[in-house]
Amino acid sequence: MTLNYEEMSWSDVRDQFRKWREETGRHSEEVVQLWVAVLEDKVHKTGNERHLILEQVIIAALDTARFDIATKCTKQLSLEFPGSLRVMKFKAMRYEALEQYDEADEVLDAIIAKDETNAAPRKRKIAILKARGRRVEAIKELNDYLKKFMSDQEAWHELCSMYLAEGEYGKASFCMEEVLLHNPHSHLIHQRLAEIRYTMGGVENVEAARTYYSQALKLNPHNLRALYGLYLSCNFLANSKAVSSKRKESQKLAQWALEQVSSHTAKQSSIKNNEKLILSLEAALGNLEIKSN
Amino acid sequence: MGSTFLNKLLLIAGFASLAHAAFSAAHHRTYLRLTEQEWNSLPLDLILQTVISLVVVVYNIIEVVGHFKEIRATVDMQQKTWDTLGNFPSFYSFNHRGRALNPGYTPPEKVQ
Repeated sequence: MTLNYEEMSWSDVRDQFRKWREETGRHSEEVVQLWVAVLEDKVHKTGNERHLILEQVIIAALDTARFDIATKCTKQLSLEFPGSLRVMKFKAMRYEALEQYDEADEVLDAIIAKDETNAAPRKRKIAILKARGRRVEAIKELNDYLKKFMSDQEAWHELCSMYLAEGEYGKASFCMEEVLLHNPHSHLIHQRLAEIRYTMGGVENVEAARTYYSQALKLNPHNLRALYGLYLSCNFLANSKAVSSKRKESQKLAQWALEQVSSHTAKQSSIKNNEKLILSLEAALGNLEIKSN
Repeated sequence: MGSTFLNKLLLIAGFASLAHAAFSAAHHRTYLRLTEQEWNSLPLDLILQTVISLVVVVYNIIEVVGHFKEIRATVDMQQKTWDTLGNFPSFYSFNHRGRALNPGYTPPEKVQ
């Protein structure tokens, strides 16, 4: 996204920051640039939102290694809230960004000793293990964490991606199912779970993948990735050794998915009359296919 | 922005009209008591003024206060992408190429 810093007033920047905070977009570089260009001098006008903005800027500044900005903002916060554990966490994060992981761990341990119910520093400790490349230890720690904080869907999600990185698809799909329980209306989670199941392979898993893809499409009919996934899994099932009635059904579903995909792309494409182009592309790709005879 | 300004104006006018209607109704009753007439109901113009200004106030308050949230649970979710859904602020790690964005960044010397 390109933003014209000159034409943005401080309230525009505040709204933009709020949007990024709510949808948890990372956008660290933009946040730092907007902060320096516009919001830094006007932050006192934002009222109680100021603290949230400062936290956001600290994280963005650490992300882009702008320690000067991070230190300045942390100082402002610690002047206002002396001895706050939440502010102490940023000190640990600063150590983390400087790759002084042992010091960061010490600070985090001190926070946990003071407040055992505080989830954030425990998560940071796991992030440190991950940053050090000790993924197996991180997985173990995260499992321990989830035994204490079972309703933390972010942690389940993270554990899922760590298992995926390790290639443990069965455990990853279990974690994704936990996340799904928290957001049963999210088409993306259904789609993700279907992808994991499809990757695992085998008729049974692909059948589950097909079901999840179908549910994702029911929740959001415009999800092209899920349509393509549905097409792939149906194709797999149509060519498998299942009962012929099931194979026929899959074939029909694959055909339907293909039609949906082509109608969506034709509708949303910015190129006019792209049918000709698609046809020629199809012909070209068809010529590339290796024929068995 | 222009329409919300108009809505605010209409909202103020609506409130003023509503207050005026209430005042007129009170006034009408005092008038009836003074002239010792039987009180049946409010005159039609007052009722109309009350109802119309109430509708104006209700409509404009809705316009001014903000947008409605979608009642269907899936519509909010449809706008989301994996980029934002798969991003967890509490698990950020900072040892990545982002540090090269620091103006004072010096690349590490090559290990021979």
